[in-house]
Amino acid sequence: MAIPRLPSHRLMAQLRTLLRIRRFEEALIELARTHDVGHFHVYVGQEVTGVAALDLLEDGDVGYTTHRNHGHLIARGVDPAAMLAEILGRATGTNRGKGGTLHLASAEHGFPTTSSSVGGPIPIAVGSAFAFRELGNRRVSVALFGDGALEEGAWHESVNIAALRQLPVIFLVENNSLEALGQKANEYPSSTLASARLADLARPFGLPVAVVDGTDSRAVHIAMRRAVRRARALEGPSFIEAQTVRWPGSRPLWPQLLTGPTDLAMAWDAGRIGDEYRAWHERQDGVLRFARELLAAGATTREQILSIDEAAKEEMRSAVRFALESPYPEPREALEHVFA
Amino acid sequence: MTDDREALEPRADPLAILARMWLIRAFEEQVSALYGKGIIRGLLHLGIGQEGVAVGAASALRAGDLVFATHRAHAHALAKGVDPVRLLAELVGRTTGLCAGKGGSMHISAPEVGFVTATGIVGGNIPLAIGAAYASRARPDDRVALAFFGDGAGQTGSFHESLNIASLWRLPIVLVCENNGYAEFTPLSAHTNVERIATHASTYGIEAETVDGNDVVAVRDAVGRAAEAARGGGGPRFVEALTYRLRGHYEGDPAKYRELAELSDWRAKDPLTRYRDRLEADGLLDAEGTTIGRIEAEARRRVDSATREALDAPLPAPDDVTRHVYAS
Amino acid sequence: MADIRYVDAIRAALEDELAADEAVCLLGEDITLGGPFGATKGLVDRFGEWRIRNTPISEATVVGLAVGAALAGARPVVEVMFIDFITLAMDQLVNHAAKLRYMSGGALSVPLTIRAQFGATGGFGAHHSQSLEAWFAHVPGLRVLAPSTPADAYAALRAAIRADDPVLYLEHRGLYWQRGEQADPAAVDPWRVRVRRPGRDVTILAWSRMVPLSLEAADRLAEDGIEAEVVDLRALSPLDLEGIVASARRTRRVAVVHEAVTTGGLGAEIAAAITEAAFGDLAAPVLRIGAPFAPPPAGPELEALFVPSVDRVVEATRALVRGPAAASVGVSPAPA
Repeated sequence: MAIPRLPSHRLMAQLRTLLRIRRFEEALIELARTHDVGHFHVYVGQEVTGVAALDLLEDGDVGYTTHRNHGHLIARGVDPAAMLAEILGRATGTNRGKGGTLHLASAEHGFPTTSSSVGGPIPIAVGSAFAFRELGNRRVSVALFGDGALEEGAWHESVNIAALRQLPVIFLVENNSLEALGQKANEYPSSTLASARLADLARPFGLPVAVVDGTDSRAVHIAMRRAVRRARALEGPSFIEAQTVRWPGSRPLWPQLLTGPTDLAMAWDAGRIGDEYRAWHERQDGVLRFARELLAAGATTREQILSIDEAAKEEMRSAVRFALESPYPEPREALEHVFA
Repeated sequence: MTDDREALEPRADPLAILARMWLIRAFEEQVSALYGKGIIRGLLHLGIGQEGVAVGAASALRAGDLVFATHRAHAHALAKGVDPVRLLAELVGRTTGLCAGKGGSMHISAPEVGFVTATGIVGGNIPLAIGAAYASRARPDDRVALAFFGDGAGQTGSFHESLNIASLWRLPIVLVCENNGYAEFTPLSAHTNVERIATHASTYGIEAETVDGNDVVAVRDAVGRAAEAARGGGGPRFVEALTYRLRGHYEGDPAKYRELAELSDWRAKDPLTRYRDRLEADGLLDAEGTTIGRIEAEARRRVDSATREALDAPLPAPDDVTRHVYAS
Repeated sequence: MADIRYVDAIRAALEDELAADEAVCLLGEDITLGGPFGATKGLVDRFGEWRIRNTPISEATVVGLAVGAALAGARPVVEVMFIDFITLAMDQLVNHAAKLRYMSGGALSVPLTIRAQFGATGGFGAHHSQSLEAWFAHVPGLRVLAPSTPADAYAALRAAIRADDPVLYLEHRGLYWQRGEQADPAAVDPWRVRVRRPGRDVTILAWSRMVPLSLEAADRLAEDGIEAEVVDLRALSPLDLEGIVASARRTRRVAVVHEAVTTGGLGAEIAAAITEAAFGDLAAPVLRIGAPFAPPPAGPELEALFVPSVDRVVEATRALVRGPAAASVGVSPAPA
C-alpha cells in the first residue's frame, strides 16, 4: 500500500491536484500543436513526487525549480490559467509574459523563480535557507532538480555549504532516468555521473539520504516529512532521490501524447490497457497508481474519481480559453521591471 | 650531485632528494627576504614546510609527465626541474624569467620540463590537468598528468566536476591534495564538515590514499603507486598529503588566526629535518653533519648565484606589455 | 558547388578538420547524438568516442579540460549549447584560456575553439536568448568570430581551429537552416570584413543574423533611393578597423546593427573607433541599432519587439541619411 496515512480529505486533495496537473500537461501538449509555446517540458509521470512532497510545505516555505516546473507550481496552488497565459506570453501570465515556461514564478505561492540553466536553482535554494536560519523563522527551502544537475559544480558547492551551516534546505532530486543507470543514451540532455547511486553524492557531507520510488506517494511523504521536521528544527539539510521511469511522451524533444490522454478507467479496468505502453499503464504511471490505491483502500469511488477528473478537465479547458483570449503585453512593458 | 634542472628520477639518490628539498627551502627563504626588501613585489605564497609533498610527488613522476600547480607553486616547479635562475628572474620581473617577466609568482610556466602552469584561481588548475590526461588517453600516450591543489579547492565546483569526469573517462591523472588545514585564513573545519578531502574521491569510485605529507618517502611511494596505476590504464588516483605551511598564507600575513602551539608542533615535524634524521639513521649522512652542512651551503650558494644573475638581467621594455597577447 | 545549409557547413568544417589533424577533438553535451541542432551528427561514427566526446553538464570544467588538453598538444573544439551557459565557464575562458600565453611570456599556447550558439528566436526566454559577444571582445587574448553565411561559417570555423589562439566562434541559431553557396575557403579571410553590398549613401555594419536582415533593409532603402553599403564584420575581436573605417570614409554615415543590447554593446566600441579615426570625414554621429536595455523576454510577441527588425533598421537608417542626426535606437530611457 503506497498511500500516506493522511486524513481522507487530504488524500482527495492530492488526487485532485494530481489530476489537475495531468490534465494541464495534456492540454498544453494539445495546444502546442497549433500554437507557439516555445520549448517546454512536462511533468507527466512525476506528478506523485511533487504533489506528495510539496503537500508538506506551509505558507512561507519556498521552492526553486527547473524547466520541468509545471507540476510543482500547480501543487502549491498557482493558478493554471495564469501559468498557461504565461506560457503563451500574455500579459495575464504569472510573469506578465516576460518569463515563459522556462521561468514561471509566483513568489506568493513560494516559487520565487524557475532557473533554466541546469543546477541554477540549487545555490539559490541554499541562499533562502541561509536567510531563514538567520531570521529564525522555521521556514524550509526546497531545491527541486533532476539527476543532470548533480553533474554541475554548483551542486557540490551548495551541498557543502548547506551541510556546514546546517541549513534548512531539502535537496529533492527527481531522477527520471531509472531505465538507464550511469551513462544515458538517447536522452536530452544526457546525464553522466561516475556515481552509480546518486545518493552517494550527498553522503560525504553527512546528509540523511532517502531513495524512494517517485510514484509511491507514501514513501515520498515519509521521506519529505522527516526532512521537513529536520529542517525546521535547524538540524540541517536532507537529500531525497525520487526515482521514476521517464514518460514515453517525453522522449522526443517536444512532448507528445504517446500514451494517449489518460484513461482513468485503466485504474480499475485492466481490460482497457492495450499492449502498447502496457508497462506504463500498469505500473509506471503514478496517477493511475494513486487512483488504484485510493480505490483499494476504500477512500473513494470510481464515480468520485471521474467527477474530480471532469472538473479538472473543465478547469484546464477554461484555462486554455483564458490564455488564448488574454492580451499580449504592451510593447513598452518590454522595458519595465529591468530595475527597481 | 643531480643538476637542479633535471627532473628527479623515481630511483633518485636520497641525497639528491634532500638536496632538492634544501634548494627549495633556500629559494623560498631567499625570496622571502627579497620580498621584505621590496625587490620582489606583488603577492608571494611560499611553500616553506611543504617541501615533502612537492619533492616526494615530483620524484615519483617521469620527466614527460605534466604537472599543474596552484598559486603556491615555487616548490612544485623546482621539484619538477625548473631552473632556479629563471624562476627567480621571473619573480623579479626580468625578461630572462620563465615567463619573460609577465607571469609572476602565481602564473609560472615551464612546459619544457613538464611544469605546465600555476594558477591564481583556486581549483582552476584541476580541469586543466584533467584535460591533459584526456589528451593522453585519446592520443594515446603513456604520460600521466598530476594536479596539485589545496584543501580549499576541495569545496569548489570544479573539483567535483573534475573528479566526476576523470572517473567516468578513466583518465590517467593523479590528484594530489596538499591538505595544510587552512584555506587562506580559515581552517578547513570552517569551510566544510568533511574532514578528509580524500573522502570525496570515493564518491566517484576513485581510489584514494591519505599520507603524512611531511614524510617525503611516504609521499613518493604513494604518488608512485598512484602514477603507475593511472599510467597502466587503471584510471585516476587520489593522494591526500597532510602537511602544514610554516609561513602565513602570503608573505605579509602574520597568520594570527593560528595557534602558536600548533605552529611549533608542526615545526617539529619539518620535512627537511625528518628526512635528514632518516638518512642519518640509514647511515647516509655522517654524524658530524659535514654532508648536511655541505648540502645546505650548496643550496644557498646556488640561490645566491641565481639571485645575482636574475637581478643582472634586463627589465622588460614598454613594448613588451602588448607582446604575447596573440600567437602572431 | 551546390548550396549548403549553414549548419551543414559547420559540420563539414568540423569533419574536414578532424580528418586533416589527429589533434582535433570535439567536446560537448550530447554531441555524439548530433547536439540539439545536428551540427555534430554522425561524426562519432567516423572518428570514434575519444575524439568526439560527450561530456556531463559541467561547463566550467569542460572548458577547463579543453584548455588543459590544448596545453598538452590537442586542438579541442568545445560546444557550449547556448551562449548563456558560457557564464558557467567564465573563469576558465577568461582567466585561463585567454591569458595563459601572455602570463607565460609566450611559452604556452592554447589552440582552443569554443562554438557557442546564440540568438533570440522561438521565445525561449532570458536564459536561452542572450547576445554576449561584447563581453568577450573585451578580453585580450581571445578572438571572436561570427560568420553570417554558410561559406563564411565553413572558412571561419576551419580558421578558428587552425588558429593557435583561443577563439570563440558564434553561431546564430536563426541561421542554421539558411542556405548559401559554398566557396573555396582559401578565398575567404574570415578575420576581415566583407562588403556584402556596396553603396554610397550610408554604411550598415552588422554581423551574424543581422547581416541578412540588413541586406533586406538595404533593398527596401534602395526603393526609396538610398543606396546602403552593407558590411559584414565577420570578426568581432580583433576588429578589422581598416575595413570598417574605409567604408565609413566612403559613405560618411554609419549605422551599426546588432542583436545584443545597445548599451555597452560592441556597437559602442565600433562607434568610438570610427569617430577617433575618421571624425572629420563623418557627416553624422555613428548610429547604433540594437536591443533595448532589458533581458530577452519570453514569448514571441515581446521577443519580436526586442530584437532589431527590418522596419526599425530601415527607419533609423533613413533618418540617419535624410533627417537630422538620429539618436541611437534601443538605449535605455533616461532615469525618471
